[in-house]
Amino acid sequence: MINIENLHKHFGKLHVLRGIDLHVREGEVVVIIGPSGSGKSTLLRCINYLEEPGAGTITVDGIPLSGQANINKIRAEVGMVFQRFNLFPHMTVLENITLAPAVVRKTTRGEAEKTALDLLAKVGLSDKAAAYPDQLSGGQQQRVAIARALAMHPKIMLFDEPTSALDPEMIKEVLDVMKTLAREGMTMVVVTHEMGFAREVGDRVIFMDEGRIVEQGKPEEFFAGGREERTKAFLSKIL
Amino acid sequence: MNFDVELIVRSSPLLLAGAAVTIQITALSVGFGLLIGMFVGIARLSKLLPVRAAAAVYVDFIRGTPLLVQIFLIYFALPILLGARIDPFIAAITACSINSGAYVAEIFRAGIQSIDKGQMEAGRSLGMTWPQTMRHIILPQAFKRIIPPLGNEFIVMLKDSSLVSVIGFEELTRRGQLIIARTYGSFEIWLTVAFIYLIMTFAISRLVAYLERRYKIDDKH
Repeated sequence: MINIENLHKHFGKLHVLRGIDLHVREGEVVVIIGPSGSGKSTLLRCINYLEEPGAGTITVDGIPLSGQANINKIRAEVGMVFQRFNLFPHMTVLENITLAPAVVRKTTRGEAEKTALDLLAKVGLSDKAAAYPDQLSGGQQQRVAIARALAMHPKIMLFDEPTSALDPEMIKEVLDVMKTLAREGMTMVVVTHEMGFAREVGDRVIFMDEGRIVEQGKPEEFFAGGREERTKAFLSKIL
Repeated sequence: MNFDVELIVRSSPLLLAGAAVTIQITALSVGFGLLIGMFVGIARLSKLLPVRAAAAVYVDFIRGTPLLVQIFLIYFALPILLGARIDPFIAAITACSINSGAYVAEIFRAGIQSIDKGQMEAGRSLGMTWPQTMRHIILPQAFKRIIPPLGNEFIVMLKDSSLVSVIGFEELTRRGQLIIARTYGSFEIWLTVAFIYLIMTFAISRLVAYLERRYKIDDKH
């Protein structure tokens, strides 16, 4: 589904990604963890070209990422959920969800609204269709953001620290929605600090540090201690 | 000195007609200025260097030269190039629109830049193009924020439109000059002219304050 080979990325002089190889199968849930500044968010953002890759190749669903030519097409297939939700504050929840299907897919209004209401039911917010984002709690906003991404019927969902900006009591409601998605077979790449989620839902855990993938494996093996020193050091701090 | 109230009463219809012309020229110039300013403001943020540079040159040139000189350029210099006279009304509107456009462009640029960049990323990540995201997500939010500076620009334009009197265009200030030339009532007429400008700018600032309040409520809602 996603094929990344020898990906490099610089921010000025800072070498943030130093040769990443990553292959994600259809239906796989990959969880990326690592200290801040390790390049995990940048890697995620390269997958839908929010960051332009420096060197290396990225192929998404068989289509090689190559500049502006096909980027909008790929983005429509790849949903993204941000740490800070990024809902559109001047639109209702319903309008937030129906905008892109109407503009990009030319879906009719009735059809887009039906999909939106179904998705709102799925994330448990049927009663909030007419609300504005700032009337919702953080957890509710993030669930709307997930519904908004799903409205494009993406084949892949990217999550960039989706619970990091949430109050602790709201984290579960967002993770529950993500678990449901994973169970339904969605291909997911999740950057997170939620080790419980990684352990329970992840098919594979990737540990990144200093722009490289240090280690990866099945969650049960990975959390058993890790092979590399850096992994062990990281795990000892967070577990 | 005797203050001729009767002169003011007699001149009022003429002056008010001039004020109507002033409002007309200001409204048209700000209208065109908004259109120019929106596109130039967006162009200043373009990824393409030539587009960005062209927009910057335009803004710098207009802001770095007096409106009076710009009016002269369009009314007296441009016809030499074109080989044809330009109607004072057209020249006045053109000069004021081009002038206003540069200031409005800076207002738009600042307004667009004040929107969190996560908004653009969210739009793009959903597969929308840059112009689509601009139109549906960024500009509607930016527009609300720039209402106060736009109102300010409206007021500045209304006052500066008095400069087109130099090309003989009969707006409020020019009407005042003409009446004075006939009646020598400098004091009464200039006082009346100033008072009419004051009423107009005051009305605009109230209107802007009202819009600002209305959109604030909308935002919270």
